[in-house]
Amino acid sequence: MIRQVSIFIENHEGRLNHILKILAENKINIRSLNIADATDFGIVRLILQETEKGIEVLKKNDIISTVTPVLAAEISDDPGGLSTLVNALTEAKINIVYAYSFLPKKTDNAIIIIRVDDDVQQKAIETLEKVAEVNLLDRETLLLK
Amino acid sequence: MYWNKSYECMPREKLQELQLERLKRMVNRIYHDVPFYRNKFQEKGLMPEDVSSLDDLKKLPFTTKVDLRDNYPYGLFTVPLEQIVRIHASSGTTGKPTVVGYTRNDIAMWSELMARCLVAAGAGPHSVIQNAYGYGLFTGGLGVHYGAERLGASIIPISGGNTAKQIMIMQDFGSTVLTCTPSYAIYLSEVLAESGIDPETLKIKAGIFGAEPWSENIRKDIEKKLKIKAYDIYGLSEIMGPGVAIECECQEGLHVWEDHFIPEIIDPNTLEVLPYGEQGELVITTITKEGIPILRYRTRDITRIIAEPCSCGRTHLRINRLQGRSDDMLIIRGVNVFPTQIESVLLEIGEVEPHYQLVVRRDGSLDTLEVKVELSEALFSDRISNLENLEKRIRDRIQSTIGVSTKVALVEPKSLPRSEGKSQRVVDLRKI
Repeated sequence: MIRQVSIFIENHEGRLNHILKILAENKINIRSLNIADATDFGIVRLILQETEKGIEVLKKNDIISTVTPVLAAEISDDPGGLSTLVNALTEAKINIVYAYSFLPKKTDNAIIIIRVDDDVQQKAIETLEKVAEVNLLDRETLLLK
Repeated sequence: MYWNKSYECMPREKLQELQLERLKRMVNRIYHDVPFYRNKFQEKGLMPEDVSSLDDLKKLPFTTKVDLRDNYPYGLFTVPLEQIVRIHASSGTTGKPTVVGYTRNDIAMWSELMARCLVAAGAGPHSVIQNAYGYGLFTGGLGVHYGAERLGASIIPISGGNTAKQIMIMQDFGSTVLTCTPSYAIYLSEVLAESGIDPETLKIKAGIFGAEPWSENIRKDIEKKLKIKAYDIYGLSEIMGPGVAIECECQEGLHVWEDHFIPEIIDPNTLEVLPYGEQGELVITTITKEGIPILRYRTRDITRIIAEPCSCGRTHLRINRLQGRSDDMLIIRGVNVFPTQIESVLLEIGEVEPHYQLVVRRDGSLDTLEVKVELSEALFSDRISNLENLEKRIRDRIQSTIGVSTKVALVEPKSLPRSEGKSQRVVDLRKI
């Protein structure tokens, strides 16, 4: 399970920059970023090299964040790679709440971050562990990629 | 034109004698019949006999909206319920409304005063009055209704909203007087213009507008667009309802019916009575009401008393157009809204220490209310749909509690301005 940091921001200029600056000033590396937006607010989802320290500096700066458990799955960066993964979850009737890609530095494979509903998380792990083409990553391994 | 010349034009000396006699009787009644008032008198070491002149009024205790809430619902009634023939309510500062009751005599008095108001605005038995104030717990609709019947005019009890039908009735029924909030009058005029209906083709001659503050500019706008004369009316349910004061044809201040109410202006900070002409908070004492007589009610409305005689011939004092409030109450589309009501909703939703801001705008002719709510850690979710649901829940809850539709926006923590630790709750961007 990977710990993703989710942050609430208002949807206007300068807000994302504000958060990124705080992390930069505290020398916290962002390994992956995803932004979801509604009409007047958004949620920034980050995977940080140092999760605890990141949360701490955000809190010090009055920024609301929450830690969400997500899955990280390594798949081959070829046509059909992602389809195999999503297909396995679909057959197990597991809904994907959202997903985005993680940019690895040291592998040619693709890495997908997946958020499923809390109550089917364990089931999703078990499902994906059975799929030969999918390699589920733990935190240590992910951050080394 | 007067409805009741002998009272409306009563020489001031005689009027003041009448006031004193009625005030003494009123003070006696509330002292003996309402424990709340008796306690307040005793705290100040006062007895009803201490009132021997109108000047003594300033020694007496005030009554506030909080007092009405603390005695919810019937604690300040001076008569048993079997003598109450009608109950109205207005929004309170928190969840519970402010409740008032009327005896048969109170309804008769209210109808009489409302009839005087209608006549002051040029109406008569020949008038067809289209009453677009809301009927219900709100005093606007029924207040005007009973006054119009008393006058012998033809009243159309259409109530608020449904603009297309309002216009159809205005055209087909030949309404000559329109009663509604000033902002609705502007809205109606705009819809008429959009529909290509020339107001000259309508029979409407006058409008009596109240229940929200408006300015001389809005009056000019309404008069020009609807080709009518627009009169300001004042009232509040705690005192009676609409018809406490009305403009006459001079349109230079609103006559307060002093044979039933005594107006004073106080400094809202020192609570000292201010001389006529100075601006401050309006305080009203009801001297004839039976169901729920109110002593020195702090209306929170800011105005001044105009004591100079009016050229219309009425001798009753006038108050200037309202200049604002001495509390944070907002009037949105005729509905009273207190920030504390919004706060209770947020507490119910699960905010432990709600920080919020109300932003009021005038969009065209309609008021809009935006509620900015700082998102707390407890309510944060990393799913957009959950947050959108939260916004919707707050919006629905506010709508069902105070009856006003709002736009709810979640904002970042600590993003709303705070002054001395408390948020600045209200930003009113309306230009009225």
